[in-house]
Amino acid sequence: MKIKLTSVYVDDQDKALRFYTQVLGFAKKADFSQGPFRWLTVASPEEPDGTELQLALNANPAAKAYQQALFQQGQPAAMFFTDDVKGDYERVKARGAEFTMPPTDVTGSTIAMLKDTCGNLIQLTQLARRKAQ
Amino acid sequence: MTAREQYAPGPASGAQVRRDGEKWTLILVRELRHSPEKVWQALTDPAQLREWAPFDADRSLGTVGSTVKLTTVGAPKPHVTETTVTRADAPKALEYKWGGFDMRWELEAVGGGTRLTLWTNIDRRFISMGAAGWHICFDVLDHLLRGTPIGRMVAGEAMKFGHWQRLNAEYAKQFGIETRNWPPPAAQRRSQ
Repeated sequence: MKIKLTSVYVDDQDKALRFYTQVLGFAKKADFSQGPFRWLTVASPEEPDGTELQLALNANPAAKAYQQALFQQGQPAAMFFTDDVKGDYERVKARGAEFTMPPTDVTGSTIAMLKDTCGNLIQLTQLARRKAQ
Repeated sequence: MTAREQYAPGPASGAQVRRDGEKWTLILVRELRHSPEKVWQALTDPAQLREWAPFDADRSLGTVGSTVKLTTVGAPKPHVTETTVTRADAPKALEYKWGGFDMRWELEAVGGGTRLTLWTNIDRRFISMGAAGWHICFDVLDHLLRGTPIGRMVAGEAMKFGHWQRLNAEYAKQFGIETRNWPPPAAQRRSQ
């Protein structure tokens, strides 16, 4: 078994695709539909065969309630790891993203939080550099 | 050979696309040699929908105002949406939503049969696939109504079937659009 996919609920898949590709810089991986169901995923260009992120439409009451509750409690719906959180913060901000938390040192890492424009908070995390073994 | 194995859909026909800016509507017309009352039952009764439709309903779609859960069959992840039936004039007109799609059915008595029309808004990038899928569904519906059911053919099972690819290409040509390549996820993984 492998962990290959995680999902975020979004309120509009086209808008989400634009944000996750053009603003965050991921690449579209899968996009097909079956009836009203659209399977849409992105992956990191740094790791094209790595874990995919499914941009799932929040088209049911449970998904909407869950998404809104996470957002209102300031909980990120997804977390992405980077080696340069300050650089990514500047780059992503320059492309128009709204951050709710600038890069901030916390235990073991530096984190930043932004809105994905589709109903979610997204956390960027840079782990504190490990000491040489 | 079973009737299901022998089944081969005819050429693409009976479909048109109405373009209204970004919103495209697929209009499908099929003549059935059965009464509107009989067709109405097949469109609304969960047990009959299970024999031909691309979704399952947890209760009848035949009552206006009722809330019905529709489960898209064979989606890569369980997909259930809830709809309220907004029109149910038996046996003439039926309206509800399937996810974000408007579904408007009209049944018109013609001779001893029914002219069935479906209006459904569908993402334009997938509109020829939708037409191909409904074409096969309507064939399966026709067999069901004749009392010679061949079993539901939807989702991956319909797409494995070579005729689906042909219908998709034919409808795309009729609509004057480019159809997308169809890379199922497993194949796509290799190509990227």
